[in-house]
Amino acid sequence: MKNFSDVFTALRKKNRSQYLLLAGCCFFSVLLITAYVCMMRSPTVLKVLPEGGDSRKQVMMIFVLAVVGCGVFTTYASGLFFRYKSRETGIFLALGASRRKLRRQLIRELAVISFISCAAGAVLGAPLAWLLWRFFRLAVVDTQEMVLGFDSQAYLYSLAFSVFVIIMLFFMMVRFIRRTNIMDVVYETRKSEPIKEIPRWYGPVGIVLLFAGILLGYLTPTFCVMVLQWFAPEWLTAPAYLPAFIGLYMILLHTVVNGWRQGRNRYKHIISTSMMKFQGRQTVRNMLVITVLVAGAYFASFYTPMSGTGAMTGYAARPVDYAFRYRSDQTMLTEQEIRQMANEEGVAITSYITGFVAVLGIDGEEMVEREDAIGTTYTMEYRELRSESLIMSESTYNTLTGDSIQVSSGFVMAVYSDEGDVDYLASNDVTLITNPVTREVLHVVPCTQVLRYSMLLGCRVLDDDDYTNITRGLTQEWLEEQVFFNVENVGETYDFAKRLFHTIVDRSGSEVELTKHWDAILKLQYDAAGEPYFMDKEHLEEYGFQPVSYEQRDSSSFRLYWKYMPQFRILDQADHVKNFAVFLMLFIFIAIICFAAVIVIAYTRSLTIGLTNAQVYDDLRHLGASNSYLLATVRKQISRVYFVPITAGTAIIYALYMIIMFFNDGGSFTRSELAGLGNCLLVIAGMSVLLYGIYRITLRKVCGMLGIKAK
Amino acid sequence: MLNVEKIKKSYQIGKNTYEVLKGVSLVVEKGEFVGVMGPSGSGKTTLLNCISCYIPADSGSIRLGGKELAALDEEELASVRNRELGFVFQDFMLLDGLTVRDNIMLPRIISGKTNKDMEETADRLCDVFGISPIKNKYPAEISGGEKQRTAVARALINNPLLILADEPTGNLDSKSSRAVIDTFLQAKNSLEATTFMVTHDSFAASFCDRVILLRDGTVWREMVRKEKKRGAFQDELLNAVRDMGEVNGE
Repeated sequence: MKNFSDVFTALRKKNRSQYLLLAGCCFFSVLLITAYVCMMRSPTVLKVLPEGGDSRKQVMMIFVLAVVGCGVFTTYASGLFFRYKSRETGIFLALGASRRKLRRQLIRELAVISFISCAAGAVLGAPLAWLLWRFFRLAVVDTQEMVLGFDSQAYLYSLAFSVFVIIMLFFMMVRFIRRTNIMDVVYETRKSEPIKEIPRWYGPVGIVLLFAGILLGYLTPTFCVMVLQWFAPEWLTAPAYLPAFIGLYMILLHTVVNGWRQGRNRYKHIISTSMMKFQGRQTVRNMLVITVLVAGAYFASFYTPMSGTGAMTGYAARPVDYAFRYRSDQTMLTEQEIRQMANEEGVAITSYITGFVAVLGIDGEEMVEREDAIGTTYTMEYRELRSESLIMSESTYNTLTGDSIQVSSGFVMAVYSDEGDVDYLASNDVTLITNPVTREVLHVVPCTQVLRYSMLLGCRVLDDDDYTNITRGLTQEWLEEQVFFNVENVGETYDFAKRLFHTIVDRSGSEVELTKHWDAILKLQYDAAGEPYFMDKEHLEEYGFQPVSYEQRDSSSFRLYWKYMPQFRILDQADHVKNFAVFLMLFIFIAIICFAAVIVIAYTRSLTIGLTNAQVYDDLRHLGASNSYLLATVRKQISRVYFVPITAGTAIIYALYMIIMFFNDGGSFTRSELAGLGNCLLVIAGMSVLLYGIYRITLRKVCGMLGIKAK
Repeated sequence: MLNVEKIKKSYQIGKNTYEVLKGVSLVVEKGEFVGVMGPSGSGKTTLLNCISCYIPADSGSIRLGGKELAALDEEELASVRNRELGFVFQDFMLLDGLTVRDNIMLPRIISGKTNKDMEETADRLCDVFGISPIKNKYPAEISGGEKQRTAVARALINNPLLILADEPTGNLDSKSSRAVIDTFLQAKNSLEATTFMVTHDSFAASFCDRVILLRDGTVWREMVRKEKKRGAFQDELLNAVRDMGEVNGE
């Protein structure tokens, strides 16, 4: 041993595991953030998530969560590292090493650790994202559209996070080395982190605040929009969730400091509770981060079962196997051609119905937005000609649905969905129907009773005579033909469905290459005013929307947004995963990252508990504590670190999902929502098994550190 | 050698201030083996920490070899700790990743005086204290007594003015304690080392030339061994400790 560097080298060799833990945490956090950001900024994903849309906001929100989580656990890991380092640093100081000398050595070590681990994380982040995506593509769906593109800007985020990690490490080092009291440094590992006495009412009040906060946070934006007619900015409505966070913190504090058991049981758990109490602040902080990350992970995980179950239930419940509509000015396939094609594909058509519907103007209230000092507000203003609506006669409705309704003259009936889950897409307030060609108007009264038939959702039904009168003089582009037919063994007709869909697209002219939000009445009004209509395909991109293209007929955006997209049960069922693949993969990816962060934080926190309590366990052993008693106290603490935040995070997000499902269609659960929630429970069960496995591994590791035999 | 005058030290815990040292004065001469005894809370360890420059005193003066410690800056204090003081702690404070020999050489390595002489001195100290057979072992592989002897050897490698020992026998059995005390005596006799030892142990203190009894942050009594037999001096110390307890009403 020749010099100070040699001493550091020898000590580094001895404490290799501490260095590896710190480097591993830095590497892991940068890797996760880089992989996430590569995914989030990927053109493949951005194309699917509309700008300003909820999905993009959710992805961003979870990204912020992941950054906070990774930031916390990296900071925490560095704290742990310096705690290990404190003894030797204290000895060096006690023996007369100057702080300058120690700082120089530590800077050298940290520079190597942080630069190498951050660089490795940043470099491997993109390949990790690509590999995971590739795996999903192989396992779930693989189309040309799913090729993952990369945006070099992603590396700016990665670089920013790496810089944060490096600065944080050096800041912690400077703070560590600046401590003036050598004895504190020498005895650092014996120091505990006491927290103040917590009143017992923290627990129950915390639970009330938590659920009140979730409800308040969810309902505040709705209240602002519906009652105050104000699109309040998120930074103003988001604080409504604050009581939930305060409640959560109170619950965790109460759990760690007091525990939920009183009476005789209090003594049974007195050792584990008191040990946790004196590691309080950090433990509670870590548990809070774990809770939030678990909530984020499940929020992302639930996307797949909720959307999948809802969609699959919807497809299964359709009364017809094949439905499509086309404008009458199109040279579309005739019934004979479709039957011919079916024959060629070996498909037997069992029923075939058609009916004409008209595209007419309807009146109604329009939302007029205004930019005010407090943000965007709106007023509802009545317009005699507000938008287009598909209008049909009662005979056509009866033919198409097999129903036998009667609509009185002068009345209109609105068609809603079967389950009521998407009723917000329909309305029942039409009093004036306008023929856009002749400008004839029909005054009607909406029937209080609505019709329920999801395949014709949003249509309106008139008395036959009223229909005949109001549609008189309509030209072909204002008429559409609706085709419904059923087949034998629909599950085996995918090839036919695909061929028919492609032929329908081939037969459709460029004048109907439109998105579903394109409105013929609004177009008419814009044309009359000599202004460009923003939903026209040539203007869509200016407003940040993707136009649909026949060239991309198999893309998810075409399937989701083409105005005349057929509803073929087998095609929709088989291609559902593909159509939602980007969403699916992104949310699964987010869930993986959040769960990985949860596991790392819980694992390192548990190791710290083992490390800081080693002396107490020795003392307990000297006092005659048996192995099973010691094991029980360790298990109690580790299980609290794992199960309390995981349970809280799971319960919170499940409750939030239930609230969303309950309120999004007027205060009830539909069958598909209940089925979706059931599937979410299955996801929770699966993840719980995995997390339990990790908990067992952690328990065994901590027991090993403390010399306790784990059963 | 060491001149402590009227030093005061208090701690703030919450809203309460605890005055631990209330104007302690003492002198340690070159080559002396001085012990400090007193009940828990009497200020022994705080006194030692102030002399070690680990914590600053609130007032008073500590002069080591004519140098006023309060006037030194951080770099100079580090140099004093490294060259003029040697430390022996209750729980040894050896670095687990270094061998016994490397641990002994550590103060020299820190000061940058790494030459052939360093290794020779370390080996000589190993011989003097009977730890040569274990000099290439790691702390985890040796006994408590051996660890403490290693610590004493480490304290001596820079030939310091003063060795400060904080409960050096506190973690040892009687056989190891005796071996460590012998090490201090050897240091005094063969190397003319000056030692200032804080201890609870009247047996260990009975080997000292002089014992200072602290009570409630003040020097209560000083007892000099002179030519007395060790056993007799220990009895005297025990009586003094008993008297101190009675004064405290215990």
